[in-house]
Amino acid sequence: MEETLQREVVLRTLGLSKKFGKRWAARNLNLEVHRGDIFCFLGPNGAGKSTAIRMILTLLRPTSGSIEMFGKDLHQNRRDVLSRVCGIVEKPDFYLYLSAYKNLQILGSMNRSVRSDEIMEILDVVGLKSRAFEKVRTFSHGMKQRLGIAQALLTKPELIILDEPTTGLDPQGMKEIRELIKRLSHERSMTIFLSSHLLSEVELVATRMAVINKGELIAQGTVSELLGNEATDYTLQASPFHPALELMGSLAWVKVLSVGNGAMEVRVEPGRAPELNKHLVTHGISVSSFFPHRSLEDFFLKVTGGKSEI
Amino acid sequence: MKLVWFETLKTFSRWRTYIGFGVIALIVIITEVVMKLSADEILYRMLRSLEKDFLISGNVLNGWFVTAFIMNTLHIHMPFLITLVAGDVVSSEATSGTVRLLLIRPPSRSRIITAKYITTFFYTAGLVLFLGLLCILLGLTLFGSGDLIIHHYGRFGVIYIEEAEIPIRMLFAFMAAIWSMMAVASIAFLLSTLAENSVGPIIGTMAVVVVFLVIGNFPLDFFRSLKPYLFTTYLTFWQQFLDDPIPWRQIGSSAAILGLHSILLFLIALGVYARKDIKS
Repeated sequence: MEETLQREVVLRTLGLSKKFGKRWAARNLNLEVHRGDIFCFLGPNGAGKSTAIRMILTLLRPTSGSIEMFGKDLHQNRRDVLSRVCGIVEKPDFYLYLSAYKNLQILGSMNRSVRSDEIMEILDVVGLKSRAFEKVRTFSHGMKQRLGIAQALLTKPELIILDEPTTGLDPQGMKEIRELIKRLSHERSMTIFLSSHLLSEVELVATRMAVINKGELIAQGTVSELLGNEATDYTLQASPFHPALELMGSLAWVKVLSVGNGAMEVRVEPGRAPELNKHLVTHGISVSSFFPHRSLEDFFLKVTGGKSEI
Repeated sequence: MKLVWFETLKTFSRWRTYIGFGVIALIVIITEVVMKLSADEILYRMLRSLEKDFLISGNVLNGWFVTAFIMNTLHIHMPFLITLVAGDVVSSEATSGTVRLLLIRPPSRSRIITAKYITTFFYTAGLVLFLGLLCILLGLTLFGSGDLIIHHYGRFGVIYIEEAEIPIRMLFAFMAAIWSMMAVASIAFLLSTLAENSVGPIIGTMAVVVVFLVIGNFPLDFFRSLKPYLFTTYLTFWQQFLDDPIPWRQIGSSAAILGLHSILLFLIALGVYARKDIKS
């Protein structure tokens, strides 16, 4: 049963394309998002992510192709489908002259009747309860981002679509949003579709992903399928530091690339990263962080076999 | 209904909505106070020619006369004040970015646009009624009541309306003025659906009104032949409710022309917005 639910397709685009003048902003996109996924739509700035999201949320009319949500054609069942979906496109903009509460009341009530206690509960979830009756004009970007998520949650959607939700946030704000996304997926069983141009963000939150560049879909699959264990460069923090450095120097399948700021960058033979971690631990070295170091450029070269440029 | 309520709430939560009310209050108060201070001069000018042919007694410079006098300037300043909101009601959603939150909701664009148009009507009606009520209340307070004696609109002569008959005639005149101003508001509304900020719709609407008024008043045959086709020709049809006898046929035809004009502009706005790509 769980497997069936996991595989249920909540969003499917078929040959979705959008042309502005002579330029294709998105071309022949075939996306598939399953129930329960944290699906990340990865691509550099200007790749066509926002165009695709705008088409999915009916802000843009596709030049060709179709969109199905929950097994129904979006344009023929717009009202029904959109009552089960919510999102934020680009940055969350609100009526600055109204309070957070009033904004949520107006936006939430367009989907269904919302009670006052529901609004306050959602504001509590995103940590804005104490600012409920203050005008949004006084909010920081991070607070607006959280309010954006609150307005999406208020409609009790089955699918949330977030366009670059961490853009413009400081590291702490980015972390908070990532944790909120994970919590929503686990605790409220929501399917989350988010776009990003940050590979590191995808690795931290996504279960499935699609890669887009210059309007075209390059790859789609689970994160492990696409990112796999191919990464060979890692950033490592260990203590004691110097013995760790010496130990690594003695291993033929590890190469230390650079050292600085209490961390080192190392290149490990494919598939041997767990072995390195174990090796360090068994030699009495504690590893405080060990994470793959990949750039979007490297990843693009990998998935396109060097045929695509950003 | 819910959408209309929310649109009304948004519109009346913004300070720019009240600029029109403030300007009207200022115009009415200044005009009526100045008229009060210059009452003797105004009376002299009013009665100078009339007293040759008529025996006039009673309170001629009364609140009703002052109201009719100020209402005559309606087509000059009201279009601008109306466009401040009508030209902004749709475009401001694009300017602020809230359009991206609004149009991804279940209600269709047609319903959202209709709600915004109804809100525009509320604002327009509110502004005209505010002008009328303020004129009457302040006028009756400062000048008292009495029968209405005014110049005949469009031809030589005077019209006399008994005091008891004036309120209902004024009510009809205000309704007609709202109808006229909705024709102006509809232009601003249509331009607002095309624009991403309110400057274009405001300037565009005022340009249309001014150009049409100028064309309609040019003393050349060619321009005279165009006059029946210009909506501005019918903007002052509310004045006919203060005529004697009331020209119902002419009023009906003017109201129908302005009504069709407004409906057509609204339908174009609806069609444009339903198909519009939201790129902002």
